[in-house]
Amino acid sequence: MVRFLKKSSESPSSIEKKKVYNSLEKNIQEMKYLFSSNRNKDFSMRSLKIKFNNKEGCLFYYSSIVDGSKIDMHVIKPLLENEGNTVMNVVSIENIEETNEFSKVIQYMNSGKVILFIEEDASTYAMDVADFQHRSIFKSENEPTVKGPQDAFTESLNTNLSLIRKQLHNNQLINEGIQIGKRSINEVNMIYIKDVVNNEILEQVREKLNNISVDSVRNVELLEQYIEERPYSVIPTVLYTERPDKATSYLEDGFIVLLMDSSSACLIVPVTFWSFFHSPEDRYLRFLYGNFTRAIRLLCFYLTLMISASYVAISNFHSEMIPPDLLLAITASRERVPFPLIFEVLIMEIAFELIREAGLRIPNPLGPTIGIVGALILGQAAVEANIISPIIVIIAALSGLSSFALADLNINFMVRLMRFVFILAAGAFGMLALTGVFLLFFMYAASVKSFGVPFFSPMSPHFLSPEDTVFRKPVKKELFRPGYLYPKDIQKKSKS
Amino acid sequence: MQNNGYLRIKEIAAMTLLLVGIKLSDSTPALLAQKAQNGFWLIPLLSFICIFPGFLIMLYLLKKYQDKNLIELMEAITGKWIGKGIGIVIFLFALLTITFDSRNYIEQIGLLYFPKSPTIVLFFIFIGIVFFGAKKGIEVIGETSWLFLTVIKISASLVILLSLGEVVMQRVFPIFGSGITNILTEGVKKASLFAELFFLLIAYKVTKASSMFSKGIVIASFITLFEITLFYFVYITVFDYNSIAKIAFPFHDLTQFINLGNFFTNIETLFMVFWLFAAFLKFIIFIYLATWIFGEIFAIRNFEPLLLPFSFLVIMIGQLPFNSIINELILREMLLTIMSPFFIILPYVLWGIAWGKGELK
Amino acid sequence: MIRVIVLLIFSILLSGCYDRIELEQQSYVIAIGIDKTEQEGVYSFTYQIANPEIGSAAVQSGPDEPPTEIVTVNGSDILSSTYTANSFVSKKITLDHTKIIVISEELARSEDFIRVIQSASRTPQIRRSVQMLVSKEKAIDFINNNEPIMEKRPHKYYQFMLNRAVQTGIIPKSTLHRFFQITEGDADLFLAIYATTEQSDQKKNTEGFEDKYIAGEIPQIGGSPTQFMGSAVFKEGQMIDILDGEETRVAQMLDKTLEMEDYLATIPDPKMPEYRISYNYYQKKEPIININYYKNKPTEIDVNISFQVEVIAIPSLIMYSQSKKDQQTLQEALTQRLEEKTNALIEKTQNSYKSDAFYWSLYIRKHFKDIKEYEDADWHKNIYPNAKINVTYELEKMEFGKMINDSNLEDVRD
Repeated sequence: MVRFLKKSSESPSSIEKKKVYNSLEKNIQEMKYLFSSNRNKDFSMRSLKIKFNNKEGCLFYYSSIVDGSKIDMHVIKPLLENEGNTVMNVVSIENIEETNEFSKVIQYMNSGKVILFIEEDASTYAMDVADFQHRSIFKSENEPTVKGPQDAFTESLNTNLSLIRKQLHNNQLINEGIQIGKRSINEVNMIYIKDVVNNEILEQVREKLNNISVDSVRNVELLEQYIEERPYSVIPTVLYTERPDKATSYLEDGFIVLLMDSSSACLIVPVTFWSFFHSPEDRYLRFLYGNFTRAIRLLCFYLTLMISASYVAISNFHSEMIPPDLLLAITASRERVPFPLIFEVLIMEIAFELIREAGLRIPNPLGPTIGIVGALILGQAAVEANIISPIIVIIAALSGLSSFALADLNINFMVRLMRFVFILAAGAFGMLALTGVFLLFFMYAASVKSFGVPFFSPMSPHFLSPEDTVFRKPVKKELFRPGYLYPKDIQKKSKS
Repeated sequence: MQNNGYLRIKEIAAMTLLLVGIKLSDSTPALLAQKAQNGFWLIPLLSFICIFPGFLIMLYLLKKYQDKNLIELMEAITGKWIGKGIGIVIFLFALLTITFDSRNYIEQIGLLYFPKSPTIVLFFIFIGIVFFGAKKGIEVIGETSWLFLTVIKISASLVILLSLGEVVMQRVFPIFGSGITNILTEGVKKASLFAELFFLLIAYKVTKASSMFSKGIVIASFITLFEITLFYFVYITVFDYNSIAKIAFPFHDLTQFINLGNFFTNIETLFMVFWLFAAFLKFIIFIYLATWIFGEIFAIRNFEPLLLPFSFLVIMIGQLPFNSIINELILREMLLTIMSPFFIILPYVLWGIAWGKGELK
Repeated sequence: MIRVIVLLIFSILLSGCYDRIELEQQSYVIAIGIDKTEQEGVYSFTYQIANPEIGSAAVQSGPDEPPTEIVTVNGSDILSSTYTANSFVSKKITLDHTKIIVISEELARSEDFIRVIQSASRTPQIRRSVQMLVSKEKAIDFINNNEPIMEKRPHKYYQFMLNRAVQTGIIPKSTLHRFFQITEGDADLFLAIYATTEQSDQKKNTEGFEDKYIAGEIPQIGGSPTQFMGSAVFKEGQMIDILDGEETRVAQMLDKTLEMEDYLATIPDPKMPEYRISYNYYQKKEPIININYYKNKPTEIDVNISFQVEVIAIPSLIMYSQSKKDQQTLQEALTQRLEEKTNALIEKTQNSYKSDAFYWSLYIRKHFKDIKEYEDADWHKNIYPNAKINVTYELEKMEFGKMINDSNLEDVRD
């Protein structure tokens, strides 16, 4: 074990210092060794006689991640035929970099560049001919809107960037790359508007990214967990979205967006509660309609978090509160049920989660039918078998259904988990425990900070902001950027 | 203690409203009505008139001696040891008020909603939640107070609104209740109804700018006065003077009595939820302030770990075997009567000394 | 650690904490009846418990299950006897949903009544908005005989029945809250609902077609045997007399704190007394009550009531709507009749009850500075019985419904 650890930590450091040799022969050997050319099938090399300086040269690349015709047209052909004095002037590739370290060479190879070694030259040339495979742009499936742009991020950094730049024509929009990972060096792209974003927050994010010391961070989904402050917390502190328009609107307000080549989504930091609560469609809809949606969503938030717990608390501890007709109806339906009420609620809630999880994992063709059948059987048959009372089905359906209105996955999980905590609290000591636990949860949320931003700002603590919290103002009346980010330019729109 | 300057006027006002204003819903009305009969709704007015000038003097002194909180101010004016001595008295007042009040609130919860649960269990749950809440620090407390204030006040207004149908104005007459002299003396004796305002002064430096604190607390005091008087007025007009002295918890009796149309007849649990939020927050604020005062006296900068022993202390003292009537009518009344002259006189004494030393130029 | 927590949670859930109780483990009392027994200090309590399975679509109930279960036990107060009742009721008896407390007239007239009803205010289970009802027979018989035909569920029956009857003014709104306010205030008379299930000798309609009945006297064919009519008069927590429906209505008209919407009544046609005109009486404004208090001479009480009338039927077919003069006559007849009745009631309260049934003590309070002075002046022993009371009715508006005119009899017969 110790030996193993030692060995693995040794190998990358030795390469780091290695410089490119002057002799082509040695370089070729080194490359073959580094990339295990005898086993590695897609590792390709091509030797050639360079015309302009009349020397031997050699090209290395991964055939799987480069564009073959591009190499042919813009690298090999010019090298063989064209005249000139430097490599830069000969090849017709838009992006050439020169280096003399093998560690860089490895990195360039992995990111889909073709490497050119030349006899009696102690530097190499890396030319960008990458052609990583990715999906084309699809409709946003997990965060659909009726009104609003339909495109979603896809697993390609350049495409994603173009989706953002398309909406934001601004020379201050910066795309800063930061390399992370030890073994697989991946690039995280930090996107922000330079003359808006707050430098301290930017520095904080940058530092966080630089401090990640792991072998590899494959995508933003994993990155999210590396940069969040409280991994055990139930409350998310990073926003995850696949919608370019959402990302852009946050960029405009001075937030920072993190993109990676391998994910069809981005991360947005810092966040507040409201970023999870809002949906981009709220802003696309007209003032009244948008706020109506918000009101419904707030209701859903309450229902999914509290309705089961309230039901348990009221019927187990405060039955006097239920109007007599309803009370008698519930009592009658419960008379033949063998379980305590809280068990009934838990059974149904868990059953709903089961259906949900199973429905998610089930192969597509079977999906919808099984889901519905499962729900029907679970609901109706369980009632008829007197295992649960019909009212519980309504409660569970209501709380389950409302949870879908909270589109953001993170907040959705938070609510679904907290729901069980609240049910248990309500079952233990009725409204006393329920209000107490809710208050504590609320205070905990208020104390959470995402990159220094309090979770409930700008509502409390107060900041100058567009006042877009539970409800929003008409777009024309939003004068400021969110002050909790301390943006360089807080004025969004002049008053007149 | 963290200070990011997040607290502003509204957070301070919210904390004041919750800390002082919730008096309208405990058994203070019954306590006051014992002697004053249906003139008891005037007592808060008189108490306020007694205590508020002194409170303004305190704010003035705090402003003069910049960057000081209550304890530091007293130490600066009267010297280190006398200042600490007065501080300890204030701390003891705070602790006793918390204890009696919490006992009172537990009785309310227990008698009305959890009749079979033993008091000790309720006490542990209640103070436990208060403790964990207080652990979050003054800024979170302030923010939470502000966010919850709206719903709490909406529910309180709903109580007023729904009870309007039962209000019989003429019941306030005879206007002076048990006699004008009686009301006046009671008003002075119970001036400490607003003693919590003084405890809040420990947090003087917590806001972004001190003027925010003063503004918040002054605005909130007037709102509180209005609220308390309004609720007491409603109690007297709904229950009449003979009943009000007998009803231990008029707020809950009122919520039990009112109904929302014919369908929702027993809606007291609805109000109980918001009342509980207010009660939790009141004690969270209160216990935090008391611990803070203690921390200042003994120069313990990081006083938040002390919350645990104090919470435990509150439970233990609260468990002493008095019944609720003794607790409310004798002990609490005694405490109020002792506290009143102290808080009425203290500001003038401090001001006099400061003036004598010529530090008010 | 996690195992310990899970274990803890389950033990909490399974043991159930102190106050946790399942819905089906409770019986919900809708009505409570209180009767006297031979023994001093022991009362017989009747609880009417709702059967949840009746009227519920979710569960098919047994065909013979009655809508309510009625149990009677002896005990000393409302709450403790529920525990005695548990010797034969299978579930915990919960009083939170009580709508009505029935008191037998016998008990109401006894001095002990205040003792037993006092315990109701001490428990949080019984709300202050519960209505108090005095039954002519024993409360146990009242609850047993009361068999609503349409509304099987008892709480619905009581709710609808009382609401409607209170609206028409034939019974007063008599919540426990009001009972305690008035009894503790020690100045006025409290009116409680009077009802019975026993038919007594039915009064002949000698003088009126109106509600000059008390419960039990109304000739009735079909329907439920229970009659709600009139009110029981309580003085200092003890019942002293019964007012009939009409008197109850007048009392409510004079009382600002009670609300009565409107009622239908008839008067003899002033021009053809063999026919009767029926009208709808509205009281849109509260009565104006003015009290002039004098220390040494009788107090003067001026009451001014403005009301509206909608004439509904004129069987004599006289065209009142057309003639100003006729209207004037009708108007005078109306006010005169109302004033007569009111004066009769006031005289009754002044002379035989020696206290007012209209909660007028409220209006004299402002003449005193403090409570001692007010209590010394003694409203219902001293001021009210000797007061000079002057009631005036004022007709604000008279409407004639949607028909401008009745059909002309001579034209029809022609």
